[in-house]
Amino acid sequence: MYRREVKAVSKIKYFIQQSWLLIVSSFCFGLLLAIANAAWSPRIEQNRINKLNALADRLIPGADFVPLEKLGAAIKVKSLKGDEKDVEVYKAMAGEQCFGWIINAVGSGFQDKIELVIAVDKDFKTIAGFDVLACNETPYLGDKIKEKNFRDQFKGKLATKLELIQSGEAKDNKILAISGATISSEAVVKIINHYMKEVREEMQRKGLLGNDK
Amino acid sequence: MTNNSDTTAGIYKETLLAGLWRENPVFRLLLGMCPTLAVTAAVKPALTMGLSVIFVLVCSNIVVSLMRNLLKPHLRILMFTLTISTFVTIADLFLRAFQPVMSETLGPYVPLIIVNCIIICRAEACASKNNLVVSIIDAIGMGVGFTLTLCALASIRELLSTGMIFEAKVMPAWFVPWAAMSMPVGAFITLGLLLGLVNKLTKGKS
Repeated sequence: MYRREVKAVSKIKYFIQQSWLLIVSSFCFGLLLAIANAAWSPRIEQNRINKLNALADRLIPGADFVPLEKLGAAIKVKSLKGDEKDVEVYKAMAGEQCFGWIINAVGSGFQDKIELVIAVDKDFKTIAGFDVLACNETPYLGDKIKEKNFRDQFKGKLATKLELIQSGEAKDNKILAISGATISSEAVVKIINHYMKEVREEMQRKGLLGNDK
Repeated sequence: MTNNSDTTAGIYKETLLAGLWRENPVFRLLLGMCPTLAVTAAVKPALTMGLSVIFVLVCSNIVVSLMRNLLKPHLRILMFTLTISTFVTIADLFLRAFQPVMSETLGPYVPLIIVNCIIICRAEACASKNNLVVSIIDAIGMGVGFTLTLCALASIRELLSTGMIFEAKVMPAWFVPWAAMSMPVGAFITLGLLLGLVNKLTKGKS
């Protein structure tokens, strides 16, 4: 019994002797990263909001974008991973008139998460367009989801069940996949389908759809 | 005394110049090929990548040099990776906060500096065996050598693919841009030609 205890103590001693530098360094580097993150994350978040507004303005030109949170109607839906998440939804206003919605949607891509800005009409029926807020997809392949040719296919499509096809013509609710980047194309379609359905249902539940103002 | 300081200054000068030409990481050691090919379509991203690598190289060489006597041989690679990844994350956060457009242009290549062979190579070959001053000079020499190489490659590619350098028009109006130079094929051809030229210039000298 005593021998076993001595052995265990010497094992712990050996472990600390070997790895103390690693443990101390990990703590110091973690602290350094925490400080850098705390100092710069507000600025990074502001850059993200600025970009989101710029993209939204490109998708629905000339509108003012009012966050639903500010109107006292925060939207919480199930994310693609299954957990409940707040979704940024903006009301596109021109004076008192609403003529569209902007949704910030996130999902998994081929390498990392893909963040989209989706514009829909005021009744939440057709897609006015989408743009990519952030993605780390493979250069020259997956990152072609940012290109106009791919994005333009979504314009005017019904915001219900989009379907990805490998070849043929992108009519009705069909979207033609990017050659060599099926996973990234599929991810975009999946994100749009999921968020359109979830956000629309949640907004209907809250009585936010169907009124012009 | 004078002789001693002369020798030390000579070592510092040798270390600094090694990275610029004799042991240039790209042209002579063929290290860091991924960013060399990927971010040299234009000078601005190439320069940003180069400056980020200089920052990470200098910081990681300082840390590794300071802890060189405490390093356990079997844990050293783990320590190098931990150190490098910390400074790469700081560089990435800095770019995202203060240069968002450039951060987006460089995309995954900034986090990928973690696996850039130049940095781990200098930590192992220089910083873990030398004092602080030599390690810093080595990092500056290697980093500047890498940056200049990236900028040289990017200047040629940007000039031929757009007729511009630093987004300023330099080619005459009749010049027809070579679109291929902004694509991967342009990167491989330019790098191959420059490597050939450097080999020709240094033939018989090494």
